[in-house]
Amino acid sequence: MNVITNGLKKMTRKQILIFTMIGLCFAVSMLFVNNNYSFYEQSIAKVIETEVIETSGFTDMNNNSDRLFEQHIIAELKNGDYKGQRIHLTNEYSSSGAYDHQYRVGNGLFVSINPSQEGDSTLTGSIMNVKRDQYVLLIAWIFIFTLLITGKKQGFLSIISLAVNATLLSFALDVYITNPSISLVLICGISGIVFTIISLAIVSGLNEKTYAAILATLLGTFISLGLAYLVIWATSGNGLRYEEMQFLTRPYQMVFMAGLLIGSLGAVMDVAITMSSSLFALYEQNNDISVKALKASGIDIGKDIMGTITSILFFAYISGSIPVIILYLKNASLLGFTLSMNLSLELARALVGGIGIVLTIPIGLYTTLYFVNRKRARS
Amino acid sequence: MNVIVVLAVILFLLMLIVGGKKGVRSFISLFLNFGVIMFTIFLMTNPQWNPIIITIIACVFISCISLFFINEVNSKTIAAFISTMVTIVLLLFFIVIVTKYAMIQGFGEEEINELGVFSLFIGIDFTKLLASVIIMSTIGAIMDVAISMAASMHEIFNNNPSISRKDLFASGLSVGRDILGADTNTLFFVFFGGYLALLLWFKDLHYSVGGIINSKIFSAEMISILCAGIGVALSLPIASGINAYLLIRKSEKGQL
Repeated sequence: MNVITNGLKKMTRKQILIFTMIGLCFAVSMLFVNNNYSFYEQSIAKVIETEVIETSGFTDMNNNSDRLFEQHIIAELKNGDYKGQRIHLTNEYSSSGAYDHQYRVGNGLFVSINPSQEGDSTLTGSIMNVKRDQYVLLIAWIFIFTLLITGKKQGFLSIISLAVNATLLSFALDVYITNPSISLVLICGISGIVFTIISLAIVSGLNEKTYAAILATLLGTFISLGLAYLVIWATSGNGLRYEEMQFLTRPYQMVFMAGLLIGSLGAVMDVAITMSSSLFALYEQNNDISVKALKASGIDIGKDIMGTITSILFFAYISGSIPVIILYLKNASLLGFTLSMNLSLELARALVGGIGIVLTIPIGLYTTLYFVNRKRARS
Repeated sequence: MNVIVVLAVILFLLMLIVGGKKGVRSFISLFLNFGVIMFTIFLMTNPQWNPIIITIIACVFISCISLFFINEVNSKTIAAFISTMVTIVLLLFFIVIVTKYAMIQGFGEEEINELGVFSLFIGIDFTKLLASVIIMSTIGAIMDVAISMAASMHEIFNNNPSISRKDLFASGLSVGRDILGADTNTLFFVFFGGYLALLLWFKDLHYSVGGIINSKIFSAEMISILCAGIGVALSLPIASGINAYLLIRKSEKGQL
C-alpha cells in the first residue's frame, strides 16, 4: 500500500490525468463492446445452454481420422424484433476445428432467424458468424497496457504512430478505390513517404539524426523495390504463384508490389534509425572523430543488426502459412506443389525486405555521414 | 529463372559485400531456420504430437541458430538465449488462453472457397496450431530485443562495473524502449503489407466496420499481430532482469 501511495505522490498531475483518461477509455469501450448489440443490423444471440447430442468418428479419403460432434444450443436474442426471446440452434463441429467452432455458454453469435411457422412458438435459426469484437478490443487493450507499462513514453509514442499510420493507410486505400486510375503503387509510395516521416519524427523528433534516417529509409525502400520489379520483369514472374493471393478484386501484381513496399518499410526504418542514431551518438561523444572511424563503426553496427532484422521479417511472413501447408500435406498434396503454392509470395516478400535491410546499411551510413559533415562544417 | 532464386542470390551477394563473414553466416542462418520450419511442419502433420511442444523445441533450435551460430557462444548470447526462451514460454501461456476463447483458428469464410477440394477434418488441432503460428511469427522480434539488450547491458556494465543490479535493470529497460518502438513498427508494417489485398477486398465489398472486426480472418490477423507486439513488450523486462541478474552474479563471484 505504501509503495502505491508513494508512487502516486511521485506522479505529476499530468500523468495522473493521462492514466485516468486511459482507464476511463478502457472501461467505457469494454462496456460498450459487450453491450453493443443494438448497433448491429444482424441478429445476435448469446448462448445460454449447450448440449452435445451426437458424437461420431470420421475418417476422410486420406485416412485422417477426426471426431465430429453435433451440439444443440439454446441462446437468447439480444437485439431486433425478437429481443429477449430464446432461439434453438444446432452446430456441428470437429475436434480439429479448421472451419468450425465448439460454442460455449456466453459466446455471442450472429444468427439468421428462420421464418416462424404457424402454431410453433419456438424460434429456430442458423449460426452465421461469431461475435469477436470484444476479444479484439480486449487484446488491443492488453497490448496498449503492456506497451505503456514497459515502454513508458516511447511505448505511448509508438502506439500513437501505429494509430496514425493505420488511419492513413485506410485513407490511402479509400483514395485508390475512388480513383482507380491512379496506380496503387504510386499511392502506397506517397503514403510510404508520409509513414516514414511521421513514424521517425514521432519517435526521435525533428533533428538531423531523423532527417538522415528518413532519407536512408526512402532510398533503401525504393531501390529495393526497383530491384524487385526488375527481377520480376526479367524473369517474367516465374515462380511467383499469385493464386495464393485469395482476395483478388484488383490487379494482383500491383497489389503485390504495393504490399512489398509497405511490408519492408518498418524494417528498413528500423535499420536506418539505428544507423543514424548510433553514428550521431558517436559523433556527439567525440566531435573530432574521423570519417574513417565512423565508417568502420557504422559497418560493424550494420553487421550486428542485419541478421536479426532480416529474421524478424522472415519469421513474420513464413509462419502465417503453416496451417494451410499442413492442410495441403494432409490432403496428400505433393511437397513441391504445396510449398510453391503457399510460400512463393511470402518468401519473395521476406527476401525483398531483406535486400532492403542490407542495402540500407551502406545507404544509412553515407546519408548519416553527409549530415554529420554538414553539422561539423557549420560548427 | 525463378524469382525466388534470383532474389535469394541478390540477398546473399549483398550480405557478403556489406557484412563479410558475418553476413554469410546471417544468410546461412536464414537457410537453416527455413529448414527448421519445414521440419517442424512435418512433425506437426502427426496428430499424436502436440504442436505447442513441437514449437517450443523448434524455438530452441531457431534461437541456437540465430544467436550462437551468427555470433558465438559467449555470456551475451547465453543471456539472450535464456531471455528468448523465458519470454516465449510465458507468452505461450497467454496465447493458448487467447486462442482458446477468441475462436479464430483455421480458415475464414473468405478463404474457404479456395480450399473447397480439401478435406478439412484432418485430425490436427487448429487451435494449438494457431498458438504455434503466433509464437513463430514473433520469435524473430523477441530474439532481436534479447540480443540487442544483452549487448548494450554488457556494454553498460563493462563501463561501470560497480553499478547496482537495480540501476543496471533500469538502464537496460531504457535501452530496450528504443528497440520496442522499432520492432512493433516492423511487425505492424509487415501486417499492413501482407494484408493489403485483404483490406482492399473488405473495402471493395463494402464491409461495415462491424463486419470487418468480427470476420474471422481479420480478427485472427489482428489478434496475432497484437500478441506478437505483447510478446516484444514482455521481453523487455524479462531480458533486462535476466541480464542484470547474470552480470551482477558474475561480478559478485569474481570478487569472492
